[in-house]
Amino acid sequence: MGVISSLGDSPASLHSALCNGQASAYEFHEPKLDGFRGRGSGRIIAFQAETYLKGRNLRPLDRTGQLVVAAAKLALEDSRWPPERLAQHPAGLVLGTMFGSVHTIAQFDRRSLEQGPACASPMDFANTVINAAAGQTAIWHNLRGINSTIASGSASGLAALGYASDLIRYSVQTAVLAGGVDEFCFESFYGFERAGMLHACDVPEPFPVPFQAGRTGFAVGEAAGLLMLEEWTSAEARGARILGEMRGHGSTYSPGEGQEHAVRSIARAMTEALKDASMSPRDVSCISASANGSVRADSDEALAIKSLLNGGGPEVPVTAIKSMIGETLGASGALQAIDLVETLRNGTLPGIRGLEQKDPALPELNFCRKQSPIHGNSGLINSISLDGVACSLLISAPPALA
Amino acid sequence: MSIRPGVVVTGIGMVTSIGAGRREFWNALMAGTCGFGPVQSFDTSQFGVHLGAEIHGFKPEEYVQKLDPHSIGRSSQLAIAAARLALTDGSLDLAEIDPDRAGVCAGTTSGEPHYIERFDDRYVLDELKMVGREFITRYPCHVVPGHTAMELGLSGETMMIPTACAAGNYAIAHASDLLRAGKADIMLAGGADSFSRITYTGFARLGAIAPEVCQPFDRNRKGMVPGEGAAMLLLELKEHAVARGARIYCEVAGYGLSCDAHHMTAAHPQGEGAARAIRMALEQSGFAPEDVDYISAHGTGTSTNDRLETIAVKKTFGQHAYKVPISSIKSMLGHTMGAASAIEAAVCALTITEGRIPPTANWKDQDPECDLDYVPNVARKHNVRIAMNNAYAFGGNNSSVIFAECAA
Amino acid sequence: MEIEAIRARVKECIQKVTGIEAATISDSAAYESDLGLDSLSVLEIAVSVEEQFKFHATDEELALTRTVDATVELVTRRICVEVA
Repeated sequence: MGVISSLGDSPASLHSALCNGQASAYEFHEPKLDGFRGRGSGRIIAFQAETYLKGRNLRPLDRTGQLVVAAAKLALEDSRWPPERLAQHPAGLVLGTMFGSVHTIAQFDRRSLEQGPACASPMDFANTVINAAAGQTAIWHNLRGINSTIASGSASGLAALGYASDLIRYSVQTAVLAGGVDEFCFESFYGFERAGMLHACDVPEPFPVPFQAGRTGFAVGEAAGLLMLEEWTSAEARGARILGEMRGHGSTYSPGEGQEHAVRSIARAMTEALKDASMSPRDVSCISASANGSVRADSDEALAIKSLLNGGGPEVPVTAIKSMIGETLGASGALQAIDLVETLRNGTLPGIRGLEQKDPALPELNFCRKQSPIHGNSGLINSISLDGVACSLLISAPPALA
Repeated sequence: MSIRPGVVVTGIGMVTSIGAGRREFWNALMAGTCGFGPVQSFDTSQFGVHLGAEIHGFKPEEYVQKLDPHSIGRSSQLAIAAARLALTDGSLDLAEIDPDRAGVCAGTTSGEPHYIERFDDRYVLDELKMVGREFITRYPCHVVPGHTAMELGLSGETMMIPTACAAGNYAIAHASDLLRAGKADIMLAGGADSFSRITYTGFARLGAIAPEVCQPFDRNRKGMVPGEGAAMLLLELKEHAVARGARIYCEVAGYGLSCDAHHMTAAHPQGEGAARAIRMALEQSGFAPEDVDYISAHGTGTSTNDRLETIAVKKTFGQHAYKVPISSIKSMLGHTMGAASAIEAAVCALTITEGRIPPTANWKDQDPECDLDYVPNVARKHNVRIAMNNAYAFGGNNSSVIFAECAA
Repeated sequence: MEIEAIRARVKECIQKVTGIEAATISDSAAYESDLGLDSLSVLEIAVSVEEQFKFHATDEELALTRTVDATVELVTRRICVEVA
């Protein structure tokens, strides 16, 4: 697995920071929004592509491309796929993203508007397609297997993991890097802000708290996360270290207005994931919620989880890592998956940072307020877009060695 | 090879610069009608080229009935129109299906570009306060299948695969996998793109736009012509189609997807990735190159693509490359971006049922490096049992989808 | 502007686009065969040079500009004309 995030550039450091309840300190500096505080949103302060990508020209890559190429490098190293192996065995890449780089698209367009179309940058044009980062990463790392880009809003990363898992299950793909990315940029941030979706400036909490009473919205961050998914027997045959198993996934859409549709859709995504995995709610040891501080969406998800677990035995602990990592859009599902793998390995579930007063309108769930031990070996991840897509994915720890 | 459940095409719908709906479109295609003209949707006076393949006279309110057509972008409108046409063509009454097991999988290059273009217009005029809520709810590209699902009341998996100019093939491939895995009963799969200033600027900057005409594979070809459009295929498992008495066009026999990992905007010089995608598609569908009766080419009309695509076909088909006709409908529709391979897939289905193949229009002089049978200028009667649809995209994304006559 | 100054700025543009150190670029280097650049990079260099020197090259001029020397010559010709 490989990750570039505000809380660390390794799965272990990310998980450790989450367990310690550390909030992201994104950097917000947008000259066009002088005076606006951005409340929790921003870009990763310390990310320097050169740290990870030495010795080659970085000009062809935009920030989104840099994030993915760097995360891919870390994932390939972590999963022991050196260049020699990639030359012999084509590995694929499936990347989830909500925007590609809307900043690159906009900058390309604005330069043409301001200076004339003859001044447009050909290299920037190559990065205006939403599948650009996936293409750049394939070039950089010689990934010649399937190369696909999935856009399902903020559920893109989890949708990509489901898509890639099915490619391995049902077709001839044996190794696919899968995950997601979205960079922080003015254009998308401003869009969310104009839609009134962001964490307000005039409330006590500096960073949004999912499920909290009085929550007002989310904070936009950025990240890239990739997991190397392999067909089990070929992974074993090459002596790979197996960190977890993708057991099943489900994806639904909510076509109607109103909370009832949304709750039903999320509950169905979870049920479909369990059915796909041939598992029942009782087999789930923890839930990594998609909740990010949004007024409606957090509520929809809580109601859906309640309906799924209702009468299903001891309440399953629920966490929401966006309480610390913020809303990383296309990367979010991948980050949740990486953290869940670490959670299942070391038995500690991160808590929901800052959750002191659960919204009374929400059902009683076992909200995990601080890091807690978990028992059992399977977790469920939800990733829900702002506009109707609900994805769920089940991951199990690998069977213990005899 | 294990027996896989058959996935069939039972309805097709498209909106293009030469016609909307199966009949009108196919007749125009067979007549070699071209949809080119001077660009009207924005000012091209500062460009060195002015040719486009825009759709004129499209009335979204004819197709968008549940949603307010003005509350969604043009790509969504086109996608919905194509979807409704496909459902009617496939005689599928949505009231008779389980909406939880029906989804939409679409491809695109730009999504809804007009919203970011308007954002940028405001940015340069220092009027950003005019940007409203609609930017974030109508711009991100996944709204195209989302709006389609919303319009039709579908609640199964809805996904956007924005793999640019190969996207339609990717969408059809994924939808067929979902059906085979038993995760849906019906899927609408295809692609949509609307005419974009950004796309036009980029291709003009690369010197890739033809000044007067699109003439794929011709010795004097000067480039592609950006266009717009949408197509949707109604896909279902064969047993489902048979059970409801649906008319079956053909089977989605298999697909191949690969990546050049070579260059962002130019294909691999030996057509390596494209050849791998072709081979993978043949292997997955259990056919040999000699079985293929027709190839729908990517055939953009640029010097490089047409030459490298020819190399890839020769590499995989050997001597049979000279026997199988291969034509490019981009010679008539221009390059409809994310819709292209979806429209071309629909054409493949029609070649099988109609027994005719479309021409490569505007072909005059043979290029010695492009010496295959490109069906120059005139549509022809041809018995097609197996058709291959090839599409290639920025980022080195290669795709091939094979359609086969449905065995009884 | 003196030709040496033009040459230095052209090489800076090449460095900005490709990462190749300006000091290592020979005056007669051919973009594709000597510097190993692809067509996108060559075009990007052209755009960068146009921006730097504030002129627009025609497509025909760009097609003939395949070496550092040729770029310097194009710039010299065009900016002198614009000044005149």
